[in-house]
Amino acid sequence: MSNFLFKAGLFTILIWMILSGNSFGQSKPKYTISGYVKDAKTGEYLIGANVFLKELLKGTSTNQYGFYSLTVEEGDYTLVFTFLGFKEFSQPVKLNKDYRINAELTDAAITTAEVEITGERKDENVESTQMGKMDMDVEKIKTLPAFMGEVDILKSIQLLPGVQSAGEGNAGYYVRGGGPDQNLILLDEAVVYNASHLFGFFSVFNADAVKNVSLIKGGMPAQYGGRLASVLDISMKEGNSKEYHVQGGLGFIASRFTVEGPIKKDTASFIISARRTFIDLFLREPFVDDESDAAGNSYYFYDLNTKINYRISDRDRLFVSAYFGRDVFQFKSPDTGFKVKVPWGNATASARWNHLFNDKLFLNTTLVFSDYNFSFTGQQEQFEFKLFSGIRDWNGKVDFNYFPNILHNVRFGINYTHHTFTPSNVSAQQGQTKFDLGEIVKLYSHEGAAYVNDEWDITERLAINAGLRFTYFNQVGPFTRYVQNENLVITDTIVYSKHESVQNYFHLEPRLSGKFTLTKTSSVKASITQNYQYIHLASLSSASLPTDVWVPSSTNVKPQIGWQYALGYFKNFKENVWETSIEVYYKEMKNQVEYREGAQPDDDIKNNQDNNFVFGKGWSYGAEFFVKKAKGRLNGWVGYTLSWTERKFPDLNNGKTFPAKYDRRHDVSIVLTYELNKKWTFGATWIYATGNALTLPQSRMFLNGPLDLAQYFADPSAPGQIYYEYGERNSFRQEAYHRLDISATLTVKKKKRWESSWNFSIFNVYNRYNPYFIYFDDYIDESTGQFTLQAKQVSLFPIIPSVTYNFKY
Amino acid sequence: MIMIRKFQYITAFWIVVATITLSQIACEKDITVDLAQPEIKLVVEGYINPGGPAYVFISRTNAFFAPVDSISLLNSTEKNALVIVSDGIISDTLVAPVPGIGYFYISPNMLGEVGKTYTLRIHTQDGKTATSVTSIPVPVALDSIWFKPRSEGDTLGYTWAKITDPPASGNNFRWFAKRLGKDDDYIAPSGSAFNDKFFNGLTFEFAYNRGSVPNSTAEDDNNEEEGAFKIGDTIVVKFASITKDSYDFWRAAETQSSSNGNPFGSPATLKSNIKGGIGIWEGFSYTLDTTVAQ
Repeated sequence: MSNFLFKAGLFTILIWMILSGNSFGQSKPKYTISGYVKDAKTGEYLIGANVFLKELLKGTSTNQYGFYSLTVEEGDYTLVFTFLGFKEFSQPVKLNKDYRINAELTDAAITTAEVEITGERKDENVESTQMGKMDMDVEKIKTLPAFMGEVDILKSIQLLPGVQSAGEGNAGYYVRGGGPDQNLILLDEAVVYNASHLFGFFSVFNADAVKNVSLIKGGMPAQYGGRLASVLDISMKEGNSKEYHVQGGLGFIASRFTVEGPIKKDTASFIISARRTFIDLFLREPFVDDESDAAGNSYYFYDLNTKINYRISDRDRLFVSAYFGRDVFQFKSPDTGFKVKVPWGNATASARWNHLFNDKLFLNTTLVFSDYNFSFTGQQEQFEFKLFSGIRDWNGKVDFNYFPNILHNVRFGINYTHHTFTPSNVSAQQGQTKFDLGEIVKLYSHEGAAYVNDEWDITERLAINAGLRFTYFNQVGPFTRYVQNENLVITDTIVYSKHESVQNYFHLEPRLSGKFTLTKTSSVKASITQNYQYIHLASLSSASLPTDVWVPSSTNVKPQIGWQYALGYFKNFKENVWETSIEVYYKEMKNQVEYREGAQPDDDIKNNQDNNFVFGKGWSYGAEFFVKKAKGRLNGWVGYTLSWTERKFPDLNNGKTFPAKYDRRHDVSIVLTYELNKKWTFGATWIYATGNALTLPQSRMFLNGPLDLAQYFADPSAPGQIYYEYGERNSFRQEAYHRLDISATLTVKKKKRWESSWNFSIFNVYNRYNPYFIYFDDYIDESTGQFTLQAKQVSLFPIIPSVTYNFKY
Repeated sequence: MIMIRKFQYITAFWIVVATITLSQIACEKDITVDLAQPEIKLVVEGYINPGGPAYVFISRTNAFFAPVDSISLLNSTEKNALVIVSDGIISDTLVAPVPGIGYFYISPNMLGEVGKTYTLRIHTQDGKTATSVTSIPVPVALDSIWFKPRSEGDTLGYTWAKITDPPASGNNFRWFAKRLGKDDDYIAPSGSAFNDKFFNGLTFEFAYNRGSVPNSTAEDDNNEEEGAFKIGDTIVVKFASITKDSYDFWRAAETQSSSNGNPFGSPATLKSNIKGGIGIWEGFSYTLDTTVAQ
């Protein structure tokens, strides 16, 4: 209770600060300059463009929709617009009334000395109060080495310090020691639950349709919530509002095609982007005989991104976007006739309406539908088995952006989501007999939030980003709770009717980050944030799979709680050509979820999923070092993260602290690009990571031995079936993972508008057999006749070259 | 593979997926791993059937890479252990037929009876103790068994059975089969343990493939006959009613065996019912059925 009062007190102070900001220096009348900033060539609104008044050296940046607003005392000013990759644009303003000034920025001439890596303000890393936020330039990502020729956004963010790959063939990523379910992934404001295809090798994001990628790994501002570790906010392009363009590419694994253009010039535009693999075409006639063993097997995936936007008036804009993606895997065993079909995928649709109440108050209303589902059908003769799992969300939010004066940028809003979880719905039948697997289980819940956040320039040197988020979660019926006793036997059931409340939670999350400028080129930043997470991903295995299920908080499962403390020092050299930073962080997490030791997939049937969970705490701390060369022909960065991540669960590992599977002591990324001339650009990345933590057996035993003792000792080659006893959880470390990838991009400009390029990539240049997993093989050694145990290491990818052809018109 | 445990399908699916994907591109190499010195524990495997004596096998675990040969096997068997089985009224001290080897202890007097509870107590020469409790459930007979070829005209096939599950829930079963003249003893195939959670009170048909002795070098376990019965075989099915402890143990044990080599599995620890050791002390009843494959 005192915790709540403390936070409510903070909230009151926050509101007072915002309101009082208005009354400082009330001598001269104030007026507002506001407007939108666009790319002159495509009409795309620019996110995070810097807009400032030269004389005051104060300004703001454009929001998610390209809107800015500055309120200052009347006077004569020069209004300057900058955004990296674009020429600076300035305009004198005699401020004696409110003005609407829109700007269209033109591409900076791409001379060899001016190529930048990221689309941020020159000294953004020093000046911004947003700690732990990194923006990635999608165009730049396309010149980096690509796995199998496919540019991948999720793989690219893993090259930043503090963000770690979950491993080859693994979809998730870990941010500062947090699990893969602790990352919030948004595509045009819609939550994406499973962001990967092809067993985790590729993400669902088609880079051709993406405009902006922002990753926040610390100091999460109050407008975001629901996950403990990070936010990956991806904005799609609007579609060129001036002319029609097509672009695409052909690669080994997948091919893409995008078409965009105006519906009504400068008023409405659209973009449609599609991507598909073509491997499956090679798995049927005429390449593979229908009668052969390999027939009936196929795998394919496709993505479709579509978006329309319409500028209704000066004050209103409407956006409608949709994403639909699917993976389908089919397998038929030639010997046994066992057939399997596994479709899975996401579908999201969002409709957004921007409205300007006045020059200081911007509103965005969003309605989202999001659906992720996975199904598995197995069939053998008369026996059929079907498993279905999914999440469906209906979400509505209202976000305001209020610019009371040049010192404050206030955001506030509310957010509501209705979740329907189907953790796993199983049905099975044998001929006419339908097995009793319980009813179809669906879990329903409401999740809501209200927040207020202010970016406040307190003094010349000190700026803070302070906010408070109030969150609420309620699981409702229909729901059946299976009550289990300490021996895990179901003793009772409690039935909740439709809409009846099962459990609710509400919490206040304070968020605070600040920046103190030391010199013109250096600053210190710090942040303290608290987050609650109400939905959880329970994984039965150490790999992240479509079979991992999302479950809501309930009577058994409490919300996850996270506190993150971070401190950083940022310094730029040589006029912002070199950017460097050191950040240290400490995180404390409570109510972490794991499956009970020895849990089996069918333990969930006719039972609540969460009866098989155990709960515990986690800690994660580390230091991230980052050096980036932002300009010049040769540019890139080096990131090094030193970190520890631990867990302690009373029911696991005998209650002793153990390293989390995401514990990675050292993580290094070196990324370089070199633009030789207008035709050739080269890229290279080298990554190094400490090996994964594994639980390995420590002793062995035999059971089911032959009853004939004489035989037993005479022939020790078959003493029965071997079984293992496992050692301490995650106490073994695999070998380190490291890999070099290189790429070369040849740009060919043929005619006026037609541009094409060839991207040659080599993945794993020195062909290192990186460990994927370890297992033990037991066999009778033919030479000695002795029963032998041999440890084996499986590696996935050797050296893989690839070629992709890209075109633009 | 054949459908036996429906939900082993999930594990099986991922093994299949893993095998396909990995066999296309994965590489494997032998490595040496340094494992910590473990604490040696008692391993107890014991059972008692109606009308039969109690059999208890006692040995010890070994460090993982310790060699497996006659000497090390002899060293890990438990000799001169005091093993007592009690039914609550009478106690019987078990005897090892070959005291020099130990390992295998049998009750000279006590015979099992359906419905009784049996307590096991072990005291080793070096002062370790282990205890456990089990009981013998009521036997449930199969309605019928028969052989069915895999496809029309095939000489190889599987053994099918029809069962009517008793109306009360909580039945646990285990399937064993042997071929007269070919198998020395009954063999439990993968997925041999199952319960009536999903078909309580129902009548249905199911099948099992032919299991094999671990690390079998027999020809028909390594050629196209692997896993199948052949026309001409005389098949005897031993269908057991087991306790919940036994079901939990064998299911975890079989998960461990089948998920070895599967990167998507997680380490399956054995669920023992032995206090002070690892393993299983189980009472079970059974019925026998015979069919000739034709």
